[in-house]
Amino acid sequence: MASSTVAPTDGYIVDETKKPKWQMSPLTKRRWGNFKVKKRGYWSLWIISIMMILSLFAEFIANDKPLVMTYKEEVYFPVLFSYPETTFGGVFETEAVYRSEAVQQFIKDGDGWMLWPLIPFSFDTIDLNTAGAVPEAPSSRHWLGTDDVARDVLARIIYGFRLSVIFGLSLTFFSAVIGITVGATQGYFGGLVDLIGQRIVEVWAGLPVLFLIIILTSLFEPNPVALLLLLLLFNWMALVAVVRAEFLRTRNFDYVNAAKALGENHMVIMWKYMLPNAMVATLTFLPFIVNGSITTLTSLDFLGFGLPAGYPSLGELLSQGKANIQAPWLGLSGFFTLAIMLTLLIFVGEGVRDAFDPRRSAT
Amino acid sequence: MSDRILEVEDLSVEFRGVEVVHNVSFHVDRGETVAIVGESGSGKSVTALSIMQLLPYLYASHPNGSILVDGEEMVGRDEEDLLKIRGNRIGMVFQEPMTSLNPLHHIEKQISEVLYVHRGMGVAEARVRALELLELVGLQHAEERLRAYPHELSGGQRQRVMIAMALANEPDILIADEPTTALDVTIQAQILRLLDELKGRLNMALVLITHDLGVVRKMADRICVMTDGVMVEQGLSEEIFTNPQHEYTQHLLAAEPSGDPVAANADSPVVMHADNVVVEFNLARGLFAKKNVLTAVDQVSLEIRQGQTLGIVGESGSGKTTLAMALLRLQSSKGDIYLGETQINGLKSNELRPLRSEMQIVFQDPYGSLPPRLSANEIIEAGLKIHHPEMTPIERRKMVSEVLVEVGLDPNLQDRYPHEFSGGQRQRIAIARAIILRPKIIVMDEPTSALDLSVQAQVVDLLRDLQHKYNLAYLFISHDLKVVRALAHHLIVMKDGVVVEQGPSEKVFSEPETAYTKALMAAAFDLEVVEAGSQ
Repeated sequence: MASSTVAPTDGYIVDETKKPKWQMSPLTKRRWGNFKVKKRGYWSLWIISIMMILSLFAEFIANDKPLVMTYKEEVYFPVLFSYPETTFGGVFETEAVYRSEAVQQFIKDGDGWMLWPLIPFSFDTIDLNTAGAVPEAPSSRHWLGTDDVARDVLARIIYGFRLSVIFGLSLTFFSAVIGITVGATQGYFGGLVDLIGQRIVEVWAGLPVLFLIIILTSLFEPNPVALLLLLLLFNWMALVAVVRAEFLRTRNFDYVNAAKALGENHMVIMWKYMLPNAMVATLTFLPFIVNGSITTLTSLDFLGFGLPAGYPSLGELLSQGKANIQAPWLGLSGFFTLAIMLTLLIFVGEGVRDAFDPRRSAT
Repeated sequence: MSDRILEVEDLSVEFRGVEVVHNVSFHVDRGETVAIVGESGSGKSVTALSIMQLLPYLYASHPNGSILVDGEEMVGRDEEDLLKIRGNRIGMVFQEPMTSLNPLHHIEKQISEVLYVHRGMGVAEARVRALELLELVGLQHAEERLRAYPHELSGGQRQRVMIAMALANEPDILIADEPTTALDVTIQAQILRLLDELKGRLNMALVLITHDLGVVRKMADRICVMTDGVMVEQGLSEEIFTNPQHEYTQHLLAAEPSGDPVAANADSPVVMHADNVVVEFNLARGLFAKKNVLTAVDQVSLEIRQGQTLGIVGESGSGKTTLAMALLRLQSSKGDIYLGETQINGLKSNELRPLRSEMQIVFQDPYGSLPPRLSANEIIEAGLKIHHPEMTPIERRKMVSEVLVEVGLDPNLQDRYPHEFSGGQRQRIAIARAIILRPKIIVMDEPTSALDLSVQAQVVDLLRDLQHKYNLAYLFISHDLKVVRALAHHLIVMKDGVVVEQGPSEKVFSEPETAYTKALMAAAFDLEVVEAGSQ
């Protein structure tokens, strides 16, 4: 043999079982390095993650129930469990209203104490003891004021932020799953599958989405899950074109043919060999889809076709701001919440996209 | 006017502080052909581009050296002056005729552009000159083709247009950077003859940059050999070929694929045979369009025996790759294909899957044939996972390591990704992926074409070793007849989807029967144009 034969060393037989179960591949490591280099995206990720985690525990930050309380030497957790008023010597069989003076008096009588959350209002708590007319201006009692039915704006923002981000991310996730599957199938098989699929997508994309959603939401009372499914019906098409194009490009690559020659099945070829190529294009679009989803929800709420009145909604806050120009804290709070949230998400998305860009290297 | 038209003295080129060309000196006289020879990455193209001062000077610089064109210094000249020289005193022909012409303009406009800029000609005048030039470079039906767009021309025709553009202002120097590498052998011979004729007629100096020693031997008066940015040897063509001084030159000259195919038993069993394979492509677009069928492979029959190589040669578009794809059932076709005793045409893809381990493929482009996001280990073991699901990860890894040693790679490198390997190493990985399943037959689709000459020879040796060791059958597709001669026992010559000639390879090589085969051989081995075979 003309080439130099390399003597095998013992090092190459690695006992796979001794390896850690999950290990970052070098590529992932490089990408994470690239991501960290971009300070803007990196810090945005931290800020948005902290905000997300905090808002996941919104019930412990802003609630109209005490976190912990005692009554007659016994400890209660009203945030976690529901206790009827009768527990504390009241008369109603319904859950105790801890904010009411009567209940507070009962507890005082039972030698109890209550530890309240930082913000002693939930998103739907109507503060009956407001000092002036609603909407009330920011004060030490309501840091961002109240809306026009005397609910605490900050509490509503915390819950609204959580709902919006979760809604946006899950809508994006499901849209991406469907979109990538459809796009990949069309691109991989090509031919008639592609032709028919593409016509269906085109017809579907031609539907007047906003009007359809308005009509459908007025037919039934929407809840977040129903609204998610409804928006999903129209949102999944965003990625089809990108993924399809990428798969059409890759399908005749030699390594795809080589995989076919090895006898790999279609699913494996699409998943392992071709999808990684489509990931950069997909990731470029994702931050915009997340933001688009959040904005769609907000605008539907703003127009009054979104979530019903009971839900903490940023769109509803904005529409209150519009209706109550004399109370600028409503509009401003809504605006800044949305602006900060959307900007941070875009910064993160931008960082992720750059990190996946093979032309950039960690320097 | 002196004879010395180009003089490069002590030239170095730096990219972002890294020196890639070191103190190169050479000169070219009028009417002379100088070839700069080297493998990829040797700095030959960078040297050529710096003559035109066409390097990206944002990153690139010349720490020292001078380039004198007819006594005038090029280095450090301002852009405006350079524009007067480029395309006027110096013309350049690039390698890739597909991308070096602007696809949006017809060729008259592209040729006239040079004339407007440097000669201040009017439209009518430029048209006459453009026509004259196209006739000069031997483009047939030049008048009708003035309005043709690049995509309407073949590769050879495009290269003629490129040459016409480069010659528009009768330059003193013509730099041709791999002018024929992307072309078929018969076209290559024509273009080379054209360049030689034009050089004589216009008394130009021709700087030929190439890795192809055959071209150099045919064309060059003097040769400069480059490696790793250093010009290691220069001298008259005959001297270098007969008596190379530098070690690298000797190595390069010895690297031509040579030797004979592995001795084979003529009665060994047939591994694959096919009868009347036809592949048709429907070019009609849309559901209701009229049928418009292109027959890419027409009634091809062949058989491949164990331990033997069947070579398929032909120019681009002859249908050789399509045929191979059809034989592996990666392309739908008509006609009967047998793998051993099993008829494999008509089998469904899941019925075919178990048989896949017996037939494997190695592709031309070592950059495109390996999935970029999988490590070498994952790429090679993929086949084992499918066909031997009972193997444990440790067994698989052991086997991958063994195969890597067999193809001459260090098994410690198996967790690297394809981009961390060189072209030759990647091709070895591709071969490892094919042989790990111990197939009976491997289809080699131009496995050496994208590799440097010396690497090419190594891969050819490796293939021969493996064939001998495992009694493999190869279906070897190539346009490079030298490589085929070193490997094939039988030969099929294809043209336009049809088998023109087939038989034992010594016979086809020594006494070709058809005119096309003769032309192909003449073009490939002697770089001569034989009229019967030209387009």
